[in-house]
Amino acid sequence: MNRTPPLARFAMTIALWTFVFFLAFPLVWLVLTSFKPSAEIMQRGAQLLPDTWTLENYRQALFGERILQTAFNTFRVAVASSLLTLAIATPAAYVLARRPGGVNKPVVGWILISQTFPMILIIVPLFMILSRLGLGNTHLGLVLVYTVWSLPFVLWMLRGYVRNVPVEIEHSAAIDGANHFQIITRVLIPLILPGLVATGLYGFINAWNEFFFALVLVKSPELQTIQVNLARFRGVEGLARWGPLAAGSVLATIPTLILFGFLQKGLVSGLLSGGVKQ
Amino acid sequence: MRKSGMAIPLWLLIPALLPVLVFSVAPLFQGIWLGFTDYELGARETRFIGFENFRYMLEDRQFWRSFRVGGVWTVAVTTGEVVLGLMLAMLLNARLPGQTLARVLVLAPWAIPPVIKGLMWRLIYHPDAGALNGALISLGMIDRPIQWLTSFTWALPAVIVVGIWSSLPTTTVVLLAGLQAIPGEVREAAAIDGAGAWGQFRHVTLPLMWPVIMSITALQAMWNFNSFGLVFVLTEGGPAGSTRLPMLFAYEEAFQFGNLAYASALGTVMTLVIGLVLVAYMRTQFRAAQGGTA
Amino acid sequence: MRTNRSTPVLLALAAAAALLFGSAAAQAPVQLRFVSLAWQEQAIESVTAVVDAWNAQNPDIQVEYQQIDWGSIHDFLITSFETRSVPDVFHYESRAIIDFGGRGYLTELSGVLSEDMLSDVVPGAWESVTDADGNIWGVPFLWESLIVLYNADLFADAGVTPPTIDEPWSWDDMRSAAATLTQDTDGDGQPEVYGAAFGLRAPVNRILNLSVGFGGDFFYQDADGNWEVRVGEAEQQVLRIITEMMFEEGTAFPDSAGLSGPELFPGFFEGRYAMLPGIGVWARQQIVQNAPEGFNWGVLPPLVADTQEQGSATQTLSIPAASPHQEEAAAFIEFLLDTQNMATLAQGDWLFPTRASSFDLPEFQTSEAGWDVATESARHLRLAAFQLVPNYTEVRNRVMTPVLQELFSGRITVEQAAAEIEREGTRTINR
Repeated sequence: MNRTPPLARFAMTIALWTFVFFLAFPLVWLVLTSFKPSAEIMQRGAQLLPDTWTLENYRQALFGERILQTAFNTFRVAVASSLLTLAIATPAAYVLARRPGGVNKPVVGWILISQTFPMILIIVPLFMILSRLGLGNTHLGLVLVYTVWSLPFVLWMLRGYVRNVPVEIEHSAAIDGANHFQIITRVLIPLILPGLVATGLYGFINAWNEFFFALVLVKSPELQTIQVNLARFRGVEGLARWGPLAAGSVLATIPTLILFGFLQKGLVSGLLSGGVKQ
Repeated sequence: MRKSGMAIPLWLLIPALLPVLVFSVAPLFQGIWLGFTDYELGARETRFIGFENFRYMLEDRQFWRSFRVGGVWTVAVTTGEVVLGLMLAMLLNARLPGQTLARVLVLAPWAIPPVIKGLMWRLIYHPDAGALNGALISLGMIDRPIQWLTSFTWALPAVIVVGIWSSLPTTTVVLLAGLQAIPGEVREAAAIDGAGAWGQFRHVTLPLMWPVIMSITALQAMWNFNSFGLVFVLTEGGPAGSTRLPMLFAYEEAFQFGNLAYASALGTVMTLVIGLVLVAYMRTQFRAAQGGTA
Repeated sequence: MRTNRSTPVLLALAAAAALLFGSAAAQAPVQLRFVSLAWQEQAIESVTAVVDAWNAQNPDIQVEYQQIDWGSIHDFLITSFETRSVPDVFHYESRAIIDFGGRGYLTELSGVLSEDMLSDVVPGAWESVTDADGNIWGVPFLWESLIVLYNADLFADAGVTPPTIDEPWSWDDMRSAAATLTQDTDGDGQPEVYGAAFGLRAPVNRILNLSVGFGGDFFYQDADGNWEVRVGEAEQQVLRIITEMMFEEGTAFPDSAGLSGPELFPGFFEGRYAMLPGIGVWARQQIVQNAPEGFNWGVLPPLVADTQEQGSATQTLSIPAASPHQEEAAAFIEFLLDTQNMATLAQGDWLFPTRASSFDLPEFQTSEAGWDVATESARHLRLAAFQLVPNYTEVRNRVMTPVLQELFSGRITVEQAAAEIEREGTRTINR
């Protein structure tokens, strides 16, 4: 099967690892920077490894810069919104998967359209609606926005998972007298649990990483999310604040990196199972 | 049999539909409407002013400039990531040494929040402390630091590289999945027919991959045109607007100067531009695909 | 508005979601939120000290101190006003608050402030926060002037004698000194030491303030009150001097278009630039704090143009109209800005206090860290015309900043920049 000449394979290997270097190096540089003392970071002629390793940046990031508080805020919003998304998307995915035609078209159409319009078009009215409801500058407002925002993709994935469940199982549950609510909670949810977890984690990461809505909708520093905190953190340029900033960035990346480690396979197959059946 | 046993009631859609209507569909229509008013932050009343905002746009140099920057950015980043993504996907599919590890590492940027991607690259590009200038100087390729993110020459290219870097993993994963869906026999058959590596790529892989490539290109182009966080953190649109993507421009108009109506009108135009370009793209690609397989 | 119809549904939704979420309970003592722009370490320390003192004395009115940076304060405030989730007291600058006042976002203060405050703060400072109808939209508390910092060792090596308060340099003197100070030791055509460096990343306010000495106002109002931007000979002077030094004479560091003021310091400390002309007085703190041991520096008096005058904005404290605790906020401002505390804040930021009684305190008259020269420069401050222009922020950010950045990158000439600023600036004001 493998008839590529060795020289070509060698060149390909080099090419592959060049790609890997390009993609992974910035993260490596960030992590190494977070362990350098301030004076060393700003030195001209940058060095890869720190001369002296220090945890000072992490101490400052954790205790001086609201990192912990804003990380907790983000966590709260992300968990609430991903749970809420699952709660409302599961019944909807059930309908979409089991009632072919009819409602599917407009819903799929909307899923596609929601990807095309820029957020600026929606943010101003959203900002006004939330303010009028007293939800401006609250976590609850942000949760609702994130829920709506990750709904298209979550629906898409869940619909794929539901379709993989043999419909006969639901039929026999129905014959045993289960209503639709019971079919969803007792039959469907246990069967698509891995899919639900993967989708929920997707929603979590989406919310954890989100920047634009959080920037515009949440104003009080004590309610800020970690992304906004870090983006604002730079303060005045050129002052040796890069150390704590790098440390804060590493801390803010760890949760999503870990979750992606778990998710990687499920996400790809979910994406495809939703799509292939289309 | 199905119908009688399993008529699934539509009301199960309501919990999902309601928030979507209130927080997505309604604001969307209201946003379009706002573009035809003179609404400003702090304004007591709002008037309908027809196409005035759109007329002002025509003579607004900042508008033209930012849409031009947006166009360059979108084309460059999308092309870059799809071409490189296809190369990378094929390398990852070629059973090279360290393939499993490489697959994990390649995904790394995928997981990183956009804000942090931006911060990371500011550290790479930093004129004094950055890795890039450090490396170039010690290799003797330049003798004084380059101001990557603040010079007119370099800012846009520098930002585009980050854009490609940032979306390369997603594109690669999708393309890799597409490659793996090509049955091995098809390629072997082509190889037996005497097709070389290029021939295999040109006549087997590419046509089979075309639908995947087409859809990922369209999707990424949309996302790239609407991109905000990454460039906001990298340059805030500077220097002198040379990296000010349409979204950054609209954000400034809305939340720095309070011109909410104008910003909404910008949003409408952005949607129109994306829509038209996509339709045109789909058409030509569809024709090309038909021509290719016929 | 259009959304009213959906309001009941939304409330039901909100209530349902509220079950998911606990809300914070209201506290018994009044809580004031104070947003401060102090960013230099010492400034933060002094603000914290004064706020702590207030909190200790006023258990019923607790102030929470929040720091925000100059780059994000503007959109922060604008969206806060709109959502009505405002801080009770905020720190900003005179130019912007007149705009906010006009939009109805702020509490008018002339009836609220004490007689002592109104009479002790100098009239020039009050002018900067008072609109055409006589409304006062904030309390001005810090002034800044632009000075020249220099490296004393490089001056001595090149045999250049620094000027004195009584015999200050003109811009031309500075220019010829820069030529003497520039050194290209290895003869590769790229000097190792530049006579001067300007941080020109956000150049507009500084250029406008420096141009006042040449009689360049940039903004002119006709008899009907309409504004117009004019960039004539007087306005072009400073632009010309800076660009010629950078691109023709090679006596100023040419890559400074992308640098902010603080980013000049690493090079200044390494002896790559002999002077930093037109930098704010606050910058002295950076030297005192970050300069290497034995770094020998000083302050030159403001350069003489036609006069030694400079424009200046003031930094201010204001109370949003939407604050529920306006009385308490005013009391807090009175405390924060009494004679001693204002002096502490000014010293922390290395700027000048606006109260005459604070200004006369000995700490502002010492020769240490150049305070005497700096303080003397405060006598030449006056209100610049741009202070009075509605939408100035928009003209600055949309038109002037980009055009000047192109100019200082050597991409366009002074004449082209002038024409562009006139045309687009006037158009933007009258939008």
